[in-house]
Amino acid sequence: MKFTLKYKQINEEREIPDKNYSIKDLLDDLELSAQTIVSKQNGELVIEDTVIEDGDEIQLVQIIYGG
Amino acid sequence: MQCSKCGNPKVIYKREQSGQILCKDCFIESIEKKAIRTIKKEKLLDKGDKVLVALSGGKDSVTTLEILDSFRQRNIIDICAVTVDEGIANYRQDGVDIAIRHAERLGIEHKVVSLKEEYGISLDEIMQRENHKGSCTYCGVFRRTIINKAAREMNATKIATGHNLDDEVQGIMMNYLEGNTDNLTKLGPKSESKAEEFTTKIKPLREIPEREIGLYVVAKELEVHFDSCPYAMQSFRGEVSEVINQLAEKHPTIKYSTLRGYDKIKNILKNELKKDYSHGRCKRCGEPASNELCKACSFLEELGL
Ligand code: SF4
Ligand SMILES: [Zn+2]
Ligand SMILES: [Zn+2]
Repeated sequence: MKFTLKYKQINEEREIPDKNYSIKDLLDDLELSAQTIVSKQNGELVIEDTVIEDGDEIQLVQIIYGG
Repeated sequence: MQCSKCGNPKVIYKREQSGQILCKDCFIESIEKKAIRTIKKEKLLDKGDKVLVALSGGKDSVTTLEILDSFRQRNIIDICAVTVDEGIANYRQDGVDIAIRHAERLGIEHKVVSLKEEYGISLDEIMQRENHKGSCTYCGVFRRTIINKAAREMNATKIATGHNLDDEVQGIMMNYLEGNTDNLTKLGPKSESKAEEFTTKIKPLREIPEREIGLYVVAKELEVHFDSCPYAMQSFRGEVSEVINQLAEKHPTIKYSTLRGYDKIKNILKNELKKDYSHGRCKRCGEPASNELCKACSFLEELGL
């Protein structure tokens, strides 16, 4: 069970660690704040509660920066 | 899970402060309606206005342009834009290019003014100097001066900036915490200055949280410059912002209540703390100034320019 993560320069396959692994869990693992990121699952905007499925492409977009 | 408004199961946003869950179309509509409501409630626009949008190419200014353009399409107002190029390597150019593309797409009058051309020095060059006062000090003052000047040159009747709810609440709390009552009275949806040389400034996005503006541009697929300025660092504004965001986690309505509270006392503050502004002129550039020199010119003199 794998998914692809796209975030800034990152473009990599990652293992889905457990069932019901959500984008929120992924953000926590990456130590990113849900407040500054929006997420897309297979190209479509989704909420962080979305569970990541086998073969998904998850793209994270940082929308809040300093300055 | 489904959209609280239309029942669409493809939801993109959970609004913490109200519990609302929204699909893409309903979310986009809610943002546009909110800004339009602010514009009407605060009477930010008059028919026939020519609004100058301070367009950096970032999410806030692009959203401001997008929303004001709906008024232009209905022939209520005219729009023009100005982009200030501070001269920050590896950062500013992308935003400038994006601003140019938006202006071309909408077919509006647009001007890019660089600090280097205007004052003979870029922000990067100022930062090479010893004893500089910090990038943001110059950046803010020069940008304001350039935008005010552009408004006059382009015969604009209003200047629209992209200040969002987070910016506005940070401003309120910062000035309050610093005891800066003078600046505290200057916040708000519409700033009108005594000096007629200063064009009225309006903030159509001041009731929309920063995060929602970020989601709006992604949802609408608007091209914006997402990046952080290399000079952005620990600032008092940053610290205040962190505290407010921490509080907002458990108290999701706190930014709104801070803004509402401020709006209620704003006029009282203004009347109580009213200062007689001197109608002086800067002896170097002729811009309105309370001292002999305006802020921009006093920085230029210090820099030996
Ligand atoms: S963070 Fe950068 S762009 Fe923003 S005011 Fe400071 S120097 Fe200017
Ligand atoms: Zn909907
Ligand atoms: Zn001056």
